[in-house]
Amino acid sequence: MSLTSKIPSTPEYPSFASIFLILIAARLWVSLTDLSDILKHDQQLSSPLTSFSQLKEGIFLFNHDIDPYSGGSFRHSPLLLSFFVTALPSSRKLASVLWTCSDAVGAWALVRIWRARQNVRQSPRDVLVAASYLFNPYIFLPSLALSTSSLENTLLLLSIMFACKGKASASLFLLSSVIHLSLSSAIMLLPILLLLITDPHSHIASPKPLSTPLKKAIPLFGEFVAYMVALTLTSTLVAGSWSWIPQTWGATLTLPDLTPNTGLWWYFFTEMFDHFRPFFLMVFTVHLFIYVVPVCLKFQHDPLYAVFILLGILGTFKPYTTLSDPGLFLTMFAIFPEIYPYMRYPIVTVLLHLHASLLMPLFHHLWLSQGTGNANFFYASTLVFACANGAALVDCIWPGLMIAIGPRVEGYSIVQE
Amino acid sequence: MDPPPATVTNSEQDSKLPSSLRDPASLSSQAVSLRRAIVSAYCTVILLALPIWWYTTSIQRLSLPSSRVHQLAQNHLELPISICVETSDLGLVDNLRQALATRISHGSQRWSGLVVSVMGKVDCGASIAPRYVSYRNTSAGEINKNDAYTIISKTGPTVIQERRLYTPLNELNSITKVVDTLSSLLAPYSSTNDPEHRVAQYSPRYRLAFSLLNEDAAAGNAILNWKIQDGLKSLFIYLSMSRYLTECLAYVNPILHHLSPLHNFTIESQVQFHAPLAFTPRQLDQAHGLTPEDLTVFVNSAQWTLSSSSSNDPVVHFILFIPSVNHRPLKLLNNDGSFSPSSAFLVPQWGGIVVRNPTSETFSGEDLPSQDLNEVFSVFANQLLALLGVPSLPSDVIKSTLGLSDWQLDALVRRRALENAQGSQDTLLSIVNLVDQIENMPVGEDVRGDVEDALDALTKMYESSTTSLYQTFAYSAESFGHASRAFFNPGMLALLYFPAEHKYGVYAPLFASALIPLLVAALRELSTYRQERKKANSATNSE
Amino acid sequence: MNVSKCDTKHLRCDCLTFIAQHYTFFPLALGQILRQYAVTEMHLALNAGNWNYDRWGYPEEQGVGTGAELWAWMGDGAAITVDERWKGLRNALAGLFCASLGSLDELRTTSPAQTFIPEGTLPDWGVSHTVRHASLPSEHVCTENLTPFLKLLPCKSLSGIASLLNPHRLFDADWHGMGVHVLWREGEGVEMRLTFQSVSDPLRYDSAKKQDWSLQSLFDRTIHRSCPVAQSSEIVVALPKNALYSIKPEPPLIERSSAHFDVNTPLEYRSESTQFSVKRTLRGPSQAHGQLSVVIVNHRPYAIHTLYLETMPWLLQFYVHTLEARVDGVLQAGIISNLTYIPSVPHSRPTTFQALLNLPPHSTVQITMDVTKAFLRYTEHPPDAQRGWDLPPAIFTPVELATNDSSFSVKEGRHYTSTLLVDLATPDFSMPYNVIIFTCSVIAYIFGTIFNLLTRRFVVVRLDQTKT
Repeated sequence: MSLTSKIPSTPEYPSFASIFLILIAARLWVSLTDLSDILKHDQQLSSPLTSFSQLKEGIFLFNHDIDPYSGGSFRHSPLLLSFFVTALPSSRKLASVLWTCSDAVGAWALVRIWRARQNVRQSPRDVLVAASYLFNPYIFLPSLALSTSSLENTLLLLSIMFACKGKASASLFLLSSVIHLSLSSAIMLLPILLLLITDPHSHIASPKPLSTPLKKAIPLFGEFVAYMVALTLTSTLVAGSWSWIPQTWGATLTLPDLTPNTGLWWYFFTEMFDHFRPFFLMVFTVHLFIYVVPVCLKFQHDPLYAVFILLGILGTFKPYTTLSDPGLFLTMFAIFPEIYPYMRYPIVTVLLHLHASLLMPLFHHLWLSQGTGNANFFYASTLVFACANGAALVDCIWPGLMIAIGPRVEGYSIVQE
Repeated sequence: MDPPPATVTNSEQDSKLPSSLRDPASLSSQAVSLRRAIVSAYCTVILLALPIWWYTTSIQRLSLPSSRVHQLAQNHLELPISICVETSDLGLVDNLRQALATRISHGSQRWSGLVVSVMGKVDCGASIAPRYVSYRNTSAGEINKNDAYTIISKTGPTVIQERRLYTPLNELNSITKVVDTLSSLLAPYSSTNDPEHRVAQYSPRYRLAFSLLNEDAAAGNAILNWKIQDGLKSLFIYLSMSRYLTECLAYVNPILHHLSPLHNFTIESQVQFHAPLAFTPRQLDQAHGLTPEDLTVFVNSAQWTLSSSSSNDPVVHFILFIPSVNHRPLKLLNNDGSFSPSSAFLVPQWGGIVVRNPTSETFSGEDLPSQDLNEVFSVFANQLLALLGVPSLPSDVIKSTLGLSDWQLDALVRRRALENAQGSQDTLLSIVNLVDQIENMPVGEDVRGDVEDALDALTKMYESSTTSLYQTFAYSAESFGHASRAFFNPGMLALLYFPAEHKYGVYAPLFASALIPLLVAALRELSTYRQERKKANSATNSE
Repeated sequence: MNVSKCDTKHLRCDCLTFIAQHYTFFPLALGQILRQYAVTEMHLALNAGNWNYDRWGYPEEQGVGTGAELWAWMGDGAAITVDERWKGLRNALAGLFCASLGSLDELRTTSPAQTFIPEGTLPDWGVSHTVRHASLPSEHVCTENLTPFLKLLPCKSLSGIASLLNPHRLFDADWHGMGVHVLWREGEGVEMRLTFQSVSDPLRYDSAKKQDWSLQSLFDRTIHRSCPVAQSSEIVVALPKNALYSIKPEPPLIERSSAHFDVNTPLEYRSESTQFSVKRTLRGPSQAHGQLSVVIVNHRPYAIHTLYLETMPWLLQFYVHTLEARVDGVLQAGIISNLTYIPSVPHSRPTTFQALLNLPPHSTVQITMDVTKAFLRYTEHPPDAQRGWDLPPAIFTPVELATNDSSFSVKEGRHYTSTLLVDLATPDFSMPYNVIIFTCSVIAYIFGTIFNLLTRRFVVVRLDQTKT
């Protein structure tokens, strides 16, 4: 199944473009139904940092000459604010169209990444890759709820796509804007730099030390810093003061809003003793960043794979997660078909995810709407979800290492000492 | 996926791997150096996070100058008193000196902290001149050691004037008499003098609260108002010759402000129309009586709102109590049930109370007659002096001026200086011991600053103790104030309720399960690295 | 309804008054607090129950919001900031009135200067004056608050009209509330007004269910003695307009259908019905979000302008962009103008939301706005967390529009809505250590697995199928 895709594409495949358009049309049709209104308050689909209602509130305040960062719960980046103030979709329907378009761009970028990895112009798997993004419920539902995390995903995919194409400036600029929208995405910087100085092709089965000297990444890093500074200054110009920094980035670091989400942070810091709160905030933040260097070292031969793993880390451990974050990670499995035979416990992982995705909305509803459950119910289901993501992470790291040793042979087993 | 029971192949057998499998050891992603790099990457991040860990959980515990505290706590304040005898008879001076020394050795408790020296005219005569300059024109700091006490021989009754004592010296038994007088003038405080502990605790500021309380104004014949200004004026006249000058006089003449070295006063007054007693006075034939037991519960603080808690300065209360018509005349009773001639009494450390029964003769309208007012306020003035600890003069000593004499004031200042010095040293010692004992107690910038200021003031106090009594007193008061403020700093109590066991409960789940594997891996890598180097070394050595 | 009034007597100043404070009629305990914190004007109200505007009309004293309400005007520019003095003031008053006014902290303090205009005059010292307002709807008023209140009266409750203030009967009334108002008037000095209002139903006390009442039947007390220092004491009885009645003793003066006893200065009694009635609700069953709905019915045949003020703790966060106004069910955005909005800051500052409403004649106006409910740290919940949080009443202040339409002036007749109870999601309070252990274990498990995968060496082992 994986090897067939390496055959160069031939024109007799059904046209990717036409199927892609059909998929988008289907998405558009669903997004124009009333589902969006029902889902817009769902806390699993949009966190306080990505909620569309908050964004609209910020735009309203901005238009009424009230500084949206002077207080309150508006925690979106000034970049988003300035974008939507100038180009605000006037109705909910238009916003749904915009979000669907954004997802379409994301899917297109994912397909381009897939093609770049396979080094082909077209492949029969393109449709599958696009569909895995467009119809992954973890990505689809937040997009229906108009969560800005969908926009972040699209920007990140575009950034990776440009990195695969070797277009450093575009990639780094998009990455810095993603970091502006969501500070935790900063862990993607190192693998994307590596990707820029090497190539996106699959070397996962044949590890070799990094051939390009790291020195080449230094000017790229400088360019990235320049974009960051420029965007920071732009944000300050838009917001009128520096007050946006504690409201947006500060929220990621200090977790002032304890609204439940699918991540591990909210209940932990709801229940934390005041004296230890700063310490554990530090531990959780550092923990997110501790994986970057080891993963990049281990997978230096295939930086796209390192990007993949770090997306998994982000989806599992970042503060204010929405379903989009683990959704992007799971969708990325579609472009690494070569690892499927080496997966360790794929059934367990799938069942865990199924389990968690059924439990979470149920317990969320029982606790907050029905009033018959209690907070522990939902907390327990987020723990299951974290385990599911953890299992998926193991299922991507283990085969990534095993593939280098070779396919399973009867009578032999590969273990770790 | 549990491996089935298997015999693990030895490393020699690895060469027999099936052709489709690559030897993991040959892969670059499994290289030893890469593994070490990864482990060290993990460790570096954790090491970099350590300072933040310390920063986010540390309790601010500044070090206190404890050695200085212990060192200063050893000291005892000693205040010199010089007595000049205006006589050329050196034998008389010697006699007086010896008699005084014997007296001091007998009552060492009473004289503790006081160092008395007796000099003849020859020794001190030259330096007498400055003290004739009234000290009211100089500031407290300028009063120096020339403020010696002078004894001048003079027939007739014993008279004091400023710091001079006029007494017959050459008569029979005169030495004993002079020593008696001196000891009650210079060291008037003893444990027997104030058995009730009437004297209020020292504070640099007092609030004087004057209240006119009518037990029941609605019953008729009540005093609905008083000319409080006139009353205060008579109070001030009574006190004005002393240094107990209030800020009012300071307002009139700012220079005088510097001359209230002991206390500052703020004054408040109120009138209440219904101030019921918590008990019913005893019904007697012609009057109503208050027994001594009644006096102890006389103040009905539940019903009388006497003062607000708006500042932390201690309040001295003065109450003029007008009994209800139904309880008149209300008189104080002695222990034996007879009427006491007095109509006023002191509540130790709290204030003074005067019970006044308006009679139909004195009652004219609703205001308190001025005659009565003056009487009441002169009683208040005496009560105030008693509560502040101003010593009374011996009965056979006459003072030449109204108000307080310098002898009395000096004795009070000496007493307060000694108390403050001791109190400050004790408090500082307690703070240092407490902080040493309780490891969770935060010590902030303000606490340390206060302790240091208190120590500095103490040091200055010891330096000035031989030169200026009033300077010494000022420093002792400053030091005590700082020490108390440091002791009662609320920030020190922040974390006392979070014991160490809880900390383990919070830290253990993450660190035991996440950091220990990391640590073990790091140690293993380190040990294999060492072994390899040893091997390599021995290999090169053997070559 | 019983209103007792007492004015202060300002003492003459000479040298001594600069340092001394002398009090005769003004209570010393309160005077010192106001002096220490340099408060120019202060209003404290402690009320129990909801004032039923529709049945009882406007109250004699405007401040009838449920629970405790404190507002004060203070001059700026002193050595101690206004906020510190405000903190000191509420702590001192909390001590004086045995009320939990100390909880009127930054979480509840706002400065709605347009609604709470000073009743007296603000001295012109060249410094600006600011208002601080806070309310605590969950405060329960009872005897322990009345006792210190009575002590502020010159004759306490021992003589004069105040002797009717019998706590057993007052706290059994349909509604009761006390107020302390201190203000400064140019050229006159400081004025203090102590008010006690209560609404009693004589039928409830009368076993024969007759509508007769007397002071004895209402308060279970009578006035035996007059207060010797009172300049005037009077009781005003509003007489029924369209019914037979008899009143004993015969009132010395009847004017405008109210009987005055012991009259020195006439006291005007308004029994005017309210111009509009307001009903405020919080809709939506979810503990995460809801909708605030305010229904205002204008009873008058002319348009009414009113200021709508919400001072909401951060527990409830407004989505102002969802603000909608409907007049008789039809969307009409134009009736809301002059919007002032200060967003809340989580864990500290409350929201101040103020808008000018134009209520068309004989209409029903509905204002709705989406809100989100906050999720609190477990230490921020009160001990009875499941009960919910009381939210302060909204305040409607009638205003007169200036002719040029850009400014307005506030009129009498502040209207308080009832309080709201918001149900916030609660965590499990027994969980802190469990959560630390569970979450840390999951993280440590994932961390450890990844660490092992990345660092431990792979080896190929041969499985022996045949035992040899």
